[in-house]
Amino acid sequence: MNKDILIIGGGIAGIQSALDLAEMNYKVYLVESLPSIGGKMAQLDKTFPTNDCAI
Amino acid sequence: MLDVGRHSNIELLAYSEVENISGEAGNFLATVRKKARYVDEDKCTGCGNCAAKCPTTVPDAFNEGLSNRKAIYSWFAQGIPSTFTIDTDYCRHFQGKKCGICQKSCQADAINFEQEDRLLELEVGAIIVATGYKVFDPTRIPEYRYNQIPNVLTSMEFERMLGASGPTEGHLERPSDRRIKNQIQDLEKKLQKAEKSLGKFEDEYQQDTETFYSEYKQDNYPEDKERKKWADKYEEYLGLKETLRPLLEQAENFKDASKLAFIQCVGSRDKRFFPFCSGYCCMHSIKEAIIAHEHDPETTSTIFGMDIRAVGKGFEEYKIRSQNSSNVFYKRARVAEITESPNKNPVLTYEDTKEQKVKSEEFELVILATACEPSSSTKPLAEILGIEINEFGFFQTDHKNPLDSTKPGIFICGCANDPMDIPESVAQASSASSRAVQVLTSLGGSGSDRVSKAS
Repeated sequence: MNKDILIIGGGIAGIQSALDLAEMNYKVYLVESLPSIGGKMAQLDKTFPTNDCAI
Repeated sequence: MLDVGRHSNIELLAYSEVENISGEAGNFLATVRKKARYVDEDKCTGCGNCAAKCPTTVPDAFNEGLSNRKAIYSWFAQGIPSTFTIDTDYCRHFQGKKCGICQKSCQADAINFEQEDRLLELEVGAIIVATGYKVFDPTRIPEYRYNQIPNVLTSMEFERMLGASGPTEGHLERPSDRRIKNQIQDLEKKLQKAEKSLGKFEDEYQQDTETFYSEYKQDNYPEDKERKKWADKYEEYLGLKETLRPLLEQAENFKDASKLAFIQCVGSRDKRFFPFCSGYCCMHSIKEAIIAHEHDPETTSTIFGMDIRAVGKGFEEYKIRSQNSSNVFYKRARVAEITESPNKNPVLTYEDTKEQKVKSEEFELVILATACEPSSSTKPLAEILGIEINEFGFFQTDHKNPLDSTKPGIFICGCANDPMDIPESVAQASSASSRAVQVLTSLGGSGSDRVSKAS
């Protein structure tokens, strides 16, 4: 039995999962195929419906 | 993103791919390939000196190919980790040419052409799949002529153009205008070079080129090979000037695009491609129209669609705001065809279903609200994980537990599950985390400190 968790994909969903689990004191491996995390959301300028910055 | 890089409980494996998974819930063994960046992660400070000196330019995928980056690059400026990566498909060194300029320019001595992929074996109890989606390729819809008309863009390309850090720094320059500007730049560079070589001839023969050329044309220097070179160079120079002149005249009239059209359901709700609704595109288009209007209050946007699906907290209000204060108009129509006017503006032909008339209208930019397609990694990853995909190619999940894959201990969240917007992705991500913890707890493992206290 192992308590660590693997997350595949470092977009907004993977990042959120990783932070949630890390805050709950679980060891997380976050695997991302591109050179940096951020995914599609990092490519966005603003988000709806508040026009907040995406990054 | 920064928090992920800093958190002591998160081991970030960027530029890595899962190669194999074995075992079951509570005891998975994952093999992860950490691809060689040819840059030492521990040494690279992310200063960018290497990229500044790198002689090879490559289309920048982060900016959807609307700008260029170098063969050694960071995915984007604020990327985590900030380590640079060498693109071996383009790098001169890896293409067998002499280079190594990045190695010489790196003050941290981080460039390592000998670096190799590393295989890591990870023992984990649960797996969360958050591999996202792919933007639908609109060249599959020939009547929209996405590849042939430069001023027809995908919503992601337009998003990059709106960004202050994007390829046009937030200016809505028509891509056709940008192409001409690039041509002008290239020609000006060539002209400068030609001028330089003409200057050398002038110095050598102590004569100005124009006088020489009129003498040459009167057959003053028969059989003089060197002077023939001079004359040829001058003719090339004149040719370049001739090509440049009309382009410069055109460029004088360039202005940012202010009449925009958005076409909804490009690839989705279309039985030829994906019958499902991609969910976020209506709001995405409205947002882009509002932001474009913020950049230039003269901007008007017309959104062509079957209907607008503004389902979400504050979404309908956002749509109404766009009509009232951002010059956004809605037309219930499905666009039949996009053609191009002589001034490079796209022309839409559509049926106005309210007036029951076929109309056509010219716009400066057309933005295609492209469907949310399953990421190309979905199928191979499903095979690695031993889980199923559904009829559209997204991961199959259980209706009663919408984040559970077909294998216990593996959970799916975000657009890998189904098309959805950011708030929903975030909610699913938190939910998937909870499911993972639930499963680990129910398996009764030693768990983390907090888990063992709870049980």
